[in-house]
Amino acid sequence: MAVRGQVNGCRTLGVTGPPGAGKSSLINALVQEMLPHYPRTAILTVDPSSPISGGAVLGDRVRMAEHSANPNVFIRSLATRGHLGGVTRMTRSVMDLLAAGDMDLVIVETVGTGQSEVEVAELTNVKIVVNAPGLGDEMQAIKAGVLEIADILVVNKSDLPDAARTAAHLNAMLHHRGHDEHRSVVCVSTVTRDGLKALADAIEIKFAQLAADSTLAVPRTASARLLLARAVADRAEDMIARTVDPRIDVLVEDIAAGLLSRQDGARTAIGLLGELRPVSNARD
Amino acid sequence: MQDNAPNPRVLLTKSFIDSHDRAIATIALALRDAAMEVVLIDYEQPEDVVTVALQEDVDIIGLSFMSGGQVETTQKIVAELKRRGVDDLPLVVGGVIRPFDVPPLEEAGVREIFRGGAPLADVVATFQRLAKAYRGYA
Ligand SMILES: Nc1nc2c(ncn2[C@@H]2O[C@H](COP(=O)(O)OP(=O)(O)OP(=O)(O)O)[C@@H](O)[C@H]2O)c(=O)[nH]1
Ligand SMILES: [Mg+2]
Repeated sequence: MAVRGQVNGCRTLGVTGPPGAGKSSLINALVQEMLPHYPRTAILTVDPSSPISGGAVLGDRVRMAEHSANPNVFIRSLATRGHLGGVTRMTRSVMDLLAAGDMDLVIVETVGTGQSEVEVAELTNVKIVVNAPGLGDEMQAIKAGVLEIADILVVNKSDLPDAARTAAHLNAMLHHRGHDEHRSVVCVSTVTRDGLKALADAIEIKFAQLAADSTLAVPRTASARLLLARAVADRAEDMIARTVDPRIDVLVEDIAAGLLSRQDGARTAIGLLGELRPVSNARD
Repeated sequence: MQDNAPNPRVLLTKSFIDSHDRAIATIALALRDAAMEVVLIDYEQPEDVVTVALQEDVDIIGLSFMSGGQVETTQKIVAELKRRGVDDLPLVVGGVIRPFDVPPLEEAGVREIFRGGAPLADVVATFQRLAKAYRGYA
């Protein structure tokens, strides 16, 4: 299905950050703040699938109960289904459908980030990275990769005593990056609702800048090649994982036995892809 | 035979007033381990359960009751399912279900009642069977 070009005013916001930082709680609180400007809002929340069973527990929505009764707020819980990068393989398509369905705002909550889960950067206009005091080592992850993609850095749980230190730490990190670093840290609490208005305003300013710079407002054309590459990789993975074909079995056995390098195996497998018949039971 | 059915999606829910989430967590993990995708919510109004079930495109709803409202809440949800044209979406209940709750729950069209003590494997199998039947994969 091809749904494209309905960028018509639909804004997209990515929310990422370590597990337990309060991403879901923050989206819940933020939506209340933003609804007057974005009456039709969709939220996509992503949780990891179990690599063993393929099942998933999707619990983000528990924090968003107050919006269940509002017919203008659409929430959908997605499982990663083996996709790395913090979102799901189908997130982009779902977002396109929601935009085509006249949503004013689409918010995407990623799985708790490690270092490489930055795919949301390609999907959304504005990215916020949520931190909280007391997450300790998680700060490493923020340093390593996620900081790069953040348009706005948030310290949530500012009602807790250590929040000021976490904010100071992040500010110091930004400071070290040099003069062309203009980002700042916004402190919020979903409990006291402190800072939520300021955060909503900061997001609004970012959206306004996008509207002024139309090349940024349309990230989709720019990254189409990357998206194609990723879709090809996903498909190839499916084919190899699900196909019953003796030629693939031989490659697998040789790699397992140390007779063939993975790289050489991959080259041979790519040559075979066109001929494989995958067993399809994907629900995406 | 190759099973081509997609993994079922399940909505497990309890009232937001009900603070006991041990039972629901146990079932959720068992269903996950059986390859199902389990959406969790605590509803404020019974009608919200149907809204969420539709947004999440689930194949079955499981209601947990640890305090009151077993019959009344279930009836409201059933009525809302009807009103929104999805009365065939299977509904099961579990938790504290007293003997006198059973007849009105059955009357309301609940597909299965799990009273304490049912083996987890049976609970999982029932979810599996009802969900797949709903999708037309059984
Ligand atoms: N003190 C305090 N606790 C908060 C605040 N916001 C959220 N929490 C708590 O932090 C915990 C995690 O919140 P979530 O919103 O589920 O965090 P999350 O980042 O979405 O978590 P995952 O999706 O599991 O990665 C919950 O127990 C919340 O009640 C806050 O502003 N202050
Ligand atoms: Mg969450």
